[in-house]
Amino acid sequence: MATREPETGWHGENSDVNHLRGRAFEATCLAATAFGLVSVMLLLLFVANDAFRPFSADAGWLATYAATVVVPLAALAVYYYRLDEPAGEVAYVTSGLPVVGLLLTGGFAVLFIELLSVLEWFALLISLVVAGGLIVAHGRLRPKAALERLGVVFLSPVITVFGLPPTRFNWFVTDAAAALGLDFGLYYRVISLREAIMLLPFVPTDWAMLLLTLVLPVAGAAGWFVKQRRESRRDGLAVVGMTTAVAVLGVVAGPLLGIGTDVWLLIVTFAVLPLGVYVEGVIRRGEGVCGLAFPVVAVLGVVVGGVVTGALGFAGPDPWLDWGFLTSATSRTAADAGIYPAMVGSVMMIIVIVLTTFPVGVGAAIYLEEYAPSQGLMGKFVTLIEINIGNLAGVPSVVYGLLGLALFIRVLQWPQGSIIVAGLAVGLLILPIVIISAQEAIRSVPDSFRQASYGMGATRWQTIRQVVLPEALPGILTGTILALGRAIGETAPLLMIGAAASVRLAPNSFFDVASMMPRQIFSWSSELDPSFRHGVLAAGVITLLAVLLVMNATAIVIRNRYQRTG
Amino acid sequence: MSTETPGPDITSRPTGRAARERMYRYVLLLCAAASILVTVSIVVLLARDAITFFTLVNPVDFFTGTEFLISRNVYGLLPLLSGTLLVTVISAVIALPTGVAAAVYLSEYASDQMRSVLKPGLEILAGIPTVVYGIFALVYVTPFLQTIGLPVNTFNILSASIMVGIMIIPMVSSLSEDAMSSVPDSLRQAGYGMGATKFEVTTGVVVPAAASGIFSSFILALSRAIGETMIVVVAAGSRPRMLNFSDPLANLFQGYQPMTAAMVQINSADSVSQLGFTSLFAIGLTLFVITFLLNLLSNRIAARYREEYE
Repeated sequence: MATREPETGWHGENSDVNHLRGRAFEATCLAATAFGLVSVMLLLLFVANDAFRPFSADAGWLATYAATVVVPLAALAVYYYRLDEPAGEVAYVTSGLPVVGLLLTGGFAVLFIELLSVLEWFALLISLVVAGGLIVAHGRLRPKAALERLGVVFLSPVITVFGLPPTRFNWFVTDAAAALGLDFGLYYRVISLREAIMLLPFVPTDWAMLLLTLVLPVAGAAGWFVKQRRESRRDGLAVVGMTTAVAVLGVVAGPLLGIGTDVWLLIVTFAVLPLGVYVEGVIRRGEGVCGLAFPVVAVLGVVVGGVVTGALGFAGPDPWLDWGFLTSATSRTAADAGIYPAMVGSVMMIIVIVLTTFPVGVGAAIYLEEYAPSQGLMGKFVTLIEINIGNLAGVPSVVYGLLGLALFIRVLQWPQGSIIVAGLAVGLLILPIVIISAQEAIRSVPDSFRQASYGMGATRWQTIRQVVLPEALPGILTGTILALGRAIGETAPLLMIGAAASVRLAPNSFFDVASMMPRQIFSWSSELDPSFRHGVLAAGVITLLAVLLVMNATAIVIRNRYQRTG
Repeated sequence: MSTETPGPDITSRPTGRAARERMYRYVLLLCAAASILVTVSIVVLLARDAITFFTLVNPVDFFTGTEFLISRNVYGLLPLLSGTLLVTVISAVIALPTGVAAAVYLSEYASDQMRSVLKPGLEILAGIPTVVYGIFALVYVTPFLQTIGLPVNTFNILSASIMVGIMIIPMVSSLSEDAMSSVPDSLRQAGYGMGATKFEVTTGVVVPAAASGIFSSFILALSRAIGETMIVVVAAGSRPRMLNFSDPLANLFQGYQPMTAAMVQINSADSVSQLGFTSLFAIGLTLFVITFLLNLLSNRIAARYREEYE
């Protein structure tokens, strides 16, 4: 069209330029862009209305909370947006950090309640540390013996974590010992350090174990981070010291407030510590300090609103999505139905995916970006791999479910519908996504960094481990979190591998049959009862979307914070 | 390992280190090769049972049969294909024009501020789990269609397809926008230099120049619609049905069972014969082949436009 009428002097010579057509076109395009967004927003409003039922509350209740929470927060938001943009970001992060922290707390609490006791966690972690220590010590003592180290790398976790399987040698040792009248309690197999710790006659209390193996390591990592950022050893130590102090204080004071000590320690680790470090940094930099007012106003508003509505006797709404929904199992009666076992299933499935897909995906990305030759036979193979990854990303999710069914259940004979099978099937589904996003992150590390590292005499692996990976980590994390968000919502593979339609008891092993959040929601969608359809189902959808929203918001914050410009 | 003293390392014989470097290389290569393994195992495992199925059911009967009834051991793919075709066509009618218009707006018209709101918004659309879209269709869209007077059944292909369409809009818009943004500015300047308006430059220069990229996004979106499972399982019903050519409009208001939905149903049914169960793999393999070919085609076309302008 651009080349029509070449014989005229210039385009539009004989006519006025008509703006109307262009304007109408622009408006149409804008409407098209907004179409999907607006319709989904409307649907979400409907679902949220069904889940929370705000209009079942007294008008006075709504008015009170509008006055104490909504109006002040909206005013603050407008102020940040118009006048103080850095404060807006501070407000966003300070409100978001506790939410993410509480979500992590919930995840770990579920883990300790359902999957392994604090003692098991303690024993596992100590054993892993010992195994790591053995390997490092060997590296220090005999730096040249690479082959020997390979053996150590393989054997030390076996000894510390898994124990030696029953072998003829063990029988021999045990029999010989028994013949001499000695009983080591070996029973034909050498137990691991982990099992030995669990057999100890005396163990520290739960909170002491948690303090040692969860709070202190995380506090130590945070302290190290602060030390690196500020180049001040004192600040780093202060972080560790204060975290420990707050944790111990809570353990002493917790029972008075009715908070369990374990929960308190988890909250300190995942919510209080990051929030404290962030807030301290904001105050020290002095930029956007008034953003800190946002969460304070929010909390004050809720408290004041609670007091006022309590005093005036306004009844609150009766939402479907409440604490009872999050903590109970599903049921035939809509009022009792909850999503808790399915949430546990989802959390455990995510653990399987993180442990299996993340290392393989990042490893593949490292190979493709850092090692892959571009010529020769290997080069052709690498091109094939790249094309194949692109294609795998487009394979329908139901086919991955079929793969999981055929491979894990029919060939390997693993239990149908178990968490490990679900995790591996969905893990295969997000593998290409993880690889592609990790590749992009690694590619964005400038080549000059690598050259500098090689110039210092580093080998390729040293360059990757100490230069490329730390630089690419935020990008890799962003991509992985987004991929995990996709994994949480996938339903079709779960249906194909036979995840349970609904379970009453939360799973407590990776080989248990379980239901996951989207699977549970799908079972509710076939209930005809309106209180399921417009109540429980909506509550389930909102729960799932809320988890996704928090994950995506985290990923976006990480991306914005560490994005490499240019 | 990083803690070794650097002094002696420079002069020492590098055998240990070289061996380790090689080991890392091979371990990482294994990770990369795992993706090939995934593809191979999909093909092999699906083909294994599909071949069992095709030894008992004539492939010609399978691909041309007009009835799909597992209880009577009648396996004809056409009713399932009808459902898939309907979903793909309806959702394409919704998503392709909308997606391209959105891409035009984002690439040519939107201010930076608008872009910073609209683009993440569209990304969110792509991030919503498909089972949620299915529930939207079943619980909210179908009753809405009934209130505005369309004679839709409880389970119908129309509301499912609308939701599939909305779901694939972001895919069309983001890939098409990439293609439009990679059209060099010199082409636009040339258009303006000829006295063309913005509308004429956009429709006459940018869109044709980005045509292959747009086309490749179309194919990818179609492939996504063909493979979409949860929306149709939740909202499109569970009755395989042939297209009714005598009354085309009525097709929209009935329930259908696309291939993906049939796979889920066969797998979750309580009593399925061995033959019925292996038909699952035959359908799955067909689906895999169709989507794989479409993806390959789309990549080919996309690779062409990248060469043109880079």
